[in-house]
Parts: sequence; C-alpha cells; structure tokens
Amino acid sequence: MRAPAAQTTGTVDVGLSTVRYDGFLASGAASMTPGVRWERPNGAVTARGTYLRFESGHRSLQGSVAGSFFTPAARRWRGEFSAAAGASRYVEFASFWHAVGEARLHIIEAERGAWISGTAGRASYGAAPRGVLAASAGAWLRRAALTLRVSASLSRVGDTSYTDVESSAHAGWGQVTLDATLGGRVWSRGGGRGMYGETSAALALGERMALLLSGGRYPTDPISGSIAARYFAAAIRIHTAAPRHTISRDRTAPRGAGADGAGTSTSARLEVQVDRSRPVRLVVHVADAIRVEVAGDFTDWQPLALSRAGGGIWEVVLPITSGVHRIDVRIDGAAWIVPAGATRAPDDYGGDVGIFVVP
Amino acid sequence: MTTRPVPHGLRSLATAGALAAVFVATAAAQDHPQDPRLGRLDAGARSLVAVVIDSARAAGLPTEPLVQRALEGATKGAPGSLIVSAVQRLAADLGRARAALGAGATPPELEAGAAALRAGAGTPVLAQLRRSRRQTITVPLAVLTDLVASGVPVDSAAAAVLALAAGTRDADLIDFRRAVERDIALGAAPTAATAAAAAGLQSTDATHVNAGARDARPGRP
Repeated sequence: MRAPAAQTTGTVDVGLSTVRYDGFLASGAASMTPGVRWERPNGAVTARGTYLRFESGHRSLQGSVAGSFFTPAARRWRGEFSAAAGASRYVEFASFWHAVGEARLHIIEAERGAWISGTAGRASYGAAPRGVLAASAGAWLRRAALTLRVSASLSRVGDTSYTDVESSAHAGWGQVTLDATLGGRVWSRGGGRGMYGETSAALALGERMALLLSGGRYPTDPISGSIAARYFAAAIRIHTAAPRHTISRDRTAPRGAGADGAGTSTSARLEVQVDRSRPVRLVVHVADAIRVEVAGDFTDWQPLALSRAGGGIWEVVLPITSGVHRIDVRIDGAAWIVPAGATRAPDDYGGDVGIFVVP
Repeated sequence: MTTRPVPHGLRSLATAGALAAVFVATAAAQDHPQDPRLGRLDAGARSLVAVVIDSARAAGLPTEPLVQRALEGATKGAPGSLIVSAVQRLAADLGRARAALGAGATPPELEAGAAALRAGAGTPVLAQLRRSRRQTITVPLAVLTDLVASGVPVDSAAAAVLALAAGTRDADLIDFRRAVERDIALGAAPTAATAAAAAGLQSTDATHVNAGARDARPGRP
C-alpha cells in the first residue's frame, strides 16, 4: 500500500522583482525559486532555493529546509516540533547560515487556537556562530475562508535582541488566495525598529500554474540573515506535479431510485440522538405526513411506526447497539426512501440505504 | 493448453476437506436451528441463506449482520437470488475484515470493517487503523465509510481517518464527519472539505500557525 497520507508537490517560481534593501539603491532582479514540499497530515517538510540575479550582474543564492511535525492530540492540546536550516550568499562577500529548532504547545478548538513556543539554535554571519534564543506566543481564529493570526515574539541572536508583534490574514476564494501580514518591531537592541507589512496574491491559472504577486516591506531578520527591504515581485508558479490526493474516483453511492423505488429524500430528515445512559432516540422531521415508518437492522427490517411529537417531528426510542446501522424511511405508505441526515450507500438490491453510526 | 493431473493424495485431501466443511456446517446447523426470522424468505433462498449463515458461524464470523442483510432484501422485495448473493458477499467481506483486523475484532468492528471494504478501503488501511488505536475502531471505520459514500476519494478519506484515529475520541470523529458533510452541502469539494475538517481537529499547516509557515512567503527577494 502506498502511504495514504503522504503527498509530495514540487513548484518552480520564475519571476521579476524590484527591491530596495535598507541603505542600498533600488535594483531589479530576476529570480528562480524551486521548491518541494512533502506533506503528511501530522506534518510537512519544505525545501526551497532561490537564485537571484540583480541588474548589476551580481548574484544571490539562498536555500532553506524546514520541517514541522505535530504530536497526536491529547484532548485539546497538541505538541509540535520543528527544525529549520538555511544558508544564503551574496556575491563573494556576504554569507549567512542558521539552524534552529522549535517546540510549540498548541491548544486547539475547531475554529480557533493558541500556542506558545520556544526556539533555540545557531546563526552565523561570516564569523563565529552566535546563539539563537526566541520565545513566542500567538492565537488564531478561522471564519469560513478567512484565517486570522496574531503573535508576539522575543528573539535574541548573539547580543542583538528584538521584539516583534505581528498579525496576519489568509483567505482563499475559488482560484484566488490572499495573504497579508502587518507587524511592528516594537523594541530592539541592534535589530532596528519600525513597522512592516507584506501582502501576496496567488491566482490559479489551471491545475498546474499560478500567477503570484507580492510586495511590501519586511524587517531585518538576524536569524536568517535577511536585510530589511521594500519589494514588489511578480512570478509564475509552475507545479511540477498535481497533488496526489485529489485524484478522484467515481462516487460509490450513486443517486437515483433503485429496485425498491428508494430515491433521494428532501422531505424527511433523520436525527439520531445518542445519550450513553439511555436508549437511542430516532427523530424524523417530515413537513406534512399522516404516518411515518422506519425499517432497519434494529427492527429486523420490519416497518415500525413512529410517534408524532408535533411540529413535523416523528420519533421513536429504541435500544440500538453501538455500531453501524442501516435505515430506510417510509412516509404515508409510499416507497422506502433514504432520509437526509443518513449517509446514502448502495444496498446490494439495486437501490440505496441510509447508514448511521451509534458511537 | 495441457492440464497437469492432480496427484491422488491431493485429491483425497481436498475431498476430505470438503467433507469436513460440510460436516462442520451440518453440525453447526444442528446446534443452531434455522433462525425463524428467515421464514420471510422464499423456500429456495431461505435454505441457501441458512447454509451461508451456518458456514459463517462455523468460521466464527458474526451471523446477525447476514440475517439482517437477508431481511432487508425481503422487505425491499428483492428476488431470492439477489438476496443469496448479497448475503454471500457480506459473509466474504466479514471474513476479509477479520483477516485484516485480527481474531479479536468485535462483531460491530467486523461489520464496520466489511462496510469500509465495500466502500473501497483496502485491507491494509483496516490493519493500520487497528494498530493505530487502542480503543474500538467501529466509529473510525464507520466514518471512513461515510466519507467515501459522501464522495471523498477513498485515499483521502483513509488518510484523514488514519491521521485522526489515534488521538481522537469517537464523538470528535463524528463531529469531524458532520463538519465534512456540512461543508460538502455548502458546496465544498469533498476532498477539500475533508482536509479542512481534519485541519480543524489537527491544527496542521492549513491553519497557518505551524512553525514553518513563516518561511512560505512567495516572491520575497
């Protein structure tokens, strides 16, 4: 069996940019950035390289690899361990490298969460390596297609210290993905101060190509060795492989009526109410009916009339065991149907059957 | 094409095996008189279904799901031949599920496993689920089947359930399945809905809070 959760994707970004590093003149540059990402549901590893050629003819090379893995959840808590290493070189006189590890503790709800983290490692700017220490805390909130994040971090690289406060937003609508970051270096000793912000947009141009636009200002990062700059960049991203897990198959639950006349029901909706200390309550919502029956593997497939509870609600309480169960509903003696709220599956008899689970 | 003659010893062994199987099934049938609920089937189908049930019992498989599958066919007015083949298929699926889940699997797990196999999950996925979770895997298997029935590609459904099963409670798995169902109903692609719901439980990189996310800014020179 292939690893069902793994997915490997490769990308190559080819683009043009204009950049003005703090203390330098603006310059145009052409860039090529290959990247590969290996992903599993509990983590990912990303490797990227960037080749930049400036107007002056000078070249810059950057490379990085980062991995992040989550521990299994313990209630709402989850641990994360990550490591990142990178190096960059500009012409012959400036070279950096860094290697850091980070541990995060997340507390996670369905649509929001928070974390605290600690980072340690080494970084070098063409001299003896310096120690890296950082602590950060953050929170995130998701609403439909929008994810918002705020964080604060305190970092120390050798004798340079700084505190960043940052917020970001990520949103995706159809073919468009937007990201924006706004932050401030609110305190610093040797790392500069000021506001910064970046935004980027990705427009999918088919399954394997996207247009990327990005720009803004980013701060000096003493860990990775990047110098504060303003920039605008446009690039074409080419995916070398389509995501493997999106290969589609035919639905196993075809719609339509079967030999028994079972069809799609929008007129009946099943609700299964489970309380471990009590029998299971089956509730069927039907707008207008005189008689509602269910049949399933919990009635020996004998029709069982439900009691009218008023307001279009019909119900029955039964000692249904834990497990997977099959059910059909009949309204006013018509054909058996699969109620909404139950999963529709082929029934072996040319039609469909409803499936529900009792935990 | 030529056929190689079967050695006499092997033929004798096969004959003895067949006789033993009949003997076991017959003995089991004598120990367990035919289920009176099968009286709702026509005579021909009833006897054939009874043989399948007796064989399943002799093999240590749960028989109640087989009875229920036959009764479902009777209620739906299916022809006897269709009922017999449905019961045979389910018995075979239960056998495959037990081979994957082990002899200690409970009847609800086997029934859920059979449904997952029918949905398209492979036996390695079932075996992996068994290894990944100490508690019962009835609900994870049911959620897997549900996801596939909802249109989620079986690989994606298996990946999501395998990732969640180890550290997620049954109730949370059912909430996860409901979240997927809701998103699909709202128009999301089944694979995307599954990934988003799994991310909600897992806080993977989809939430953009993982430690490596800050390195992903595109285009920055």
